[in-house]
Amino acid sequence: MGPRVRGDDGWRVLFGLLALIAVALASASSAAAHPHVWITAKSQVMYAPDGSVSGVRHAWTFDDMFSTYALQGIEQKTKGAYSREELAPLAQTNVESLKEFSFFTFARADGTRQRFLEPVDYFLDYKNSLLTLHFTLPAKTPFRAKQLVLEVFDKTFFIDFQYAEKDPVTLVGAPADCRMQFQRPNDGSAAAQKLGEQNFLSGEGGNFGMMFANKITVDCP
Amino acid sequence: MTSRTPFTRCLAIGVAALAAILLVDGALHVLAAQNPFGGPRPAAEPQVGGIVGWLLAKQSEFYREMSVTIRAAKSDGSAVWTLLAISFAYGIFHAAGPGHGKAVISSYLVANRETARRGIVLSFASALLQALVAVVLVGICAWLLNATAKTMCGAERAIEIASYVLIAAFGVRLVWTKGGGFIRALQVKPVLVPAMAMAAVHHHVHNHAHSDHDRHDHVHDHGHHHRHAHADHDHDQGHHHDHGHVHDEHCGHSHGPTPDQLAGPGGWRRGLGAIFAVGLRPCSGAILVLVFALAQGLFWAGIAATFVMGLGTAITVATIAVLAVSARGLAQRLSGGSDGRGTLVMRGIEFAAAGLVLLFGIGLLFGYLAAERVTCL
Repeated sequence: MGPRVRGDDGWRVLFGLLALIAVALASASSAAAHPHVWITAKSQVMYAPDGSVSGVRHAWTFDDMFSTYALQGIEQKTKGAYSREELAPLAQTNVESLKEFSFFTFARADGTRQRFLEPVDYFLDYKNSLLTLHFTLPAKTPFRAKQLVLEVFDKTFFIDFQYAEKDPVTLVGAPADCRMQFQRPNDGSAAAQKLGEQNFLSGEGGNFGMMFANKITVDCP
Repeated sequence: MTSRTPFTRCLAIGVAALAAILLVDGALHVLAAQNPFGGPRPAAEPQVGGIVGWLLAKQSEFYREMSVTIRAAKSDGSAVWTLLAISFAYGIFHAAGPGHGKAVISSYLVANRETARRGIVLSFASALLQALVAVVLVGICAWLLNATAKTMCGAERAIEIASYVLIAAFGVRLVWTKGGGFIRALQVKPVLVPAMAMAAVHHHVHNHAHSDHDRHDHVHDHGHHHRHAHADHDHDQGHHHDHGHVHDEHCGHSHGPTPDQLAGPGGWRRGLGAIFAVGLRPCSGAILVLVFALAQGLFWAGIAATFVMGLGTAITVATIAVLAVSARGLAQRLSGGSDGRGTLVMRGIEFAAAGLVLLFGIGLLFGYLAAERVTCL
């Protein structure tokens, strides 16, 4: 029993197995699990009086499951309600943990990457059993831009960012001639454009998660 | 060739299970649509093509339905059944997506010349351990100590690191053992290889001896031993234990891991090592579900859901494990089994698979490989 095959086939099999192994490795390393946290976001792009971008203010509402998880063990005076003070330590934790992920907020001014400082004015509120994290990311140096591109996404797709249906993005104090455009990740044209332009031209952002990016574009002629 | 039958059967069962899940899925959609607590359906998933995109979409769907169903179960006890069905489906899809657990198990099975049956046992044991760790973690941290999510995530991180260290250590040990076999196969002149290979794997050779059977008077043991013998054809010297295959058809008819089943090559300790290395790290999703269920006063439903999730995971991992073992068996048949070159190829494959376990451990430990993130926000 056991068909005798020439030794070459053995090597062929070895290559086949190695290929299998490579596939296994690739599948294990493509970071994406699936989202465990869903965030419904609203963002404001803040402008200084001189027309430069001074920062971004986010309001992120966590989903039911994660809100409940995050509230585990948090003391409350009245059942079913949490005051801003009671939630302050949690907000602190959130803001500290988000730092590792650059607050999932990526800005480019006319193609140049812009950085943000540590968040300010942050707090959590609790409404309809959902937690909302409010925080402002001040621009490291306020900047002017003909075109500002702001992207909000988690490249590992652990968090799924979906912008609110109503007023997802607003400009605060922007010069009158600025025009804002907002693209959701499941907008097919956005994904196609991303693949076309950014992955190939700028050579950056070849991430799986880029497909999930929410893209805010502000043009100020 | 007969030894392929159980594999085919396991595969058929696996495929049938997946088909059943798809049916359940369809039914759940109808249920969810009628659910007064259903709320708005999650928005369309981002467009990621192919199987991965589909798996991601399915998982997200099931996962999101879980919190809705647990809330529903507060007022309507029958929703618990829906919860269990969703959890089972989620487990199956979750394990089919990218992840290190099944990669480590499959590599280990190939490296250690394990049988399909042991692959299934290891898959189930590690998935159930994973569920157990999640339940114990949430039970102690959240339920007993009322610790915060921050504390819990700290504990999760510690467990995560321990589990990666364990995988790496396990890999080192496998590389050490399998490296020896490979080097021996390389050094020895072709003619002598079969004999040397037999010396290297004397444990299996003993399975052929009748004295081995005499040590066990358990009926099932006979089946196992014959199968062990068949899975290791590289030193087959003309023994045909065809009667053993009758016992072989027990796929999916598990009595739980008995010490005998775990005591494959390397003894039961190595089997346990594999279970702990893979099963120690709890799944983030299970922890979230458990804490959520606890907050709704339905901790028991969360525990049940976690174990059912583990069951679903086990089915997928076991299917992949059986595939890996079959691939190895195929390679063995094609490489000509007992001739020198075939032995060399097989030892090489085992060594590579052992190295892979080590690489997984190191990669996970140092962050080269991304695993599912721990929920620390």
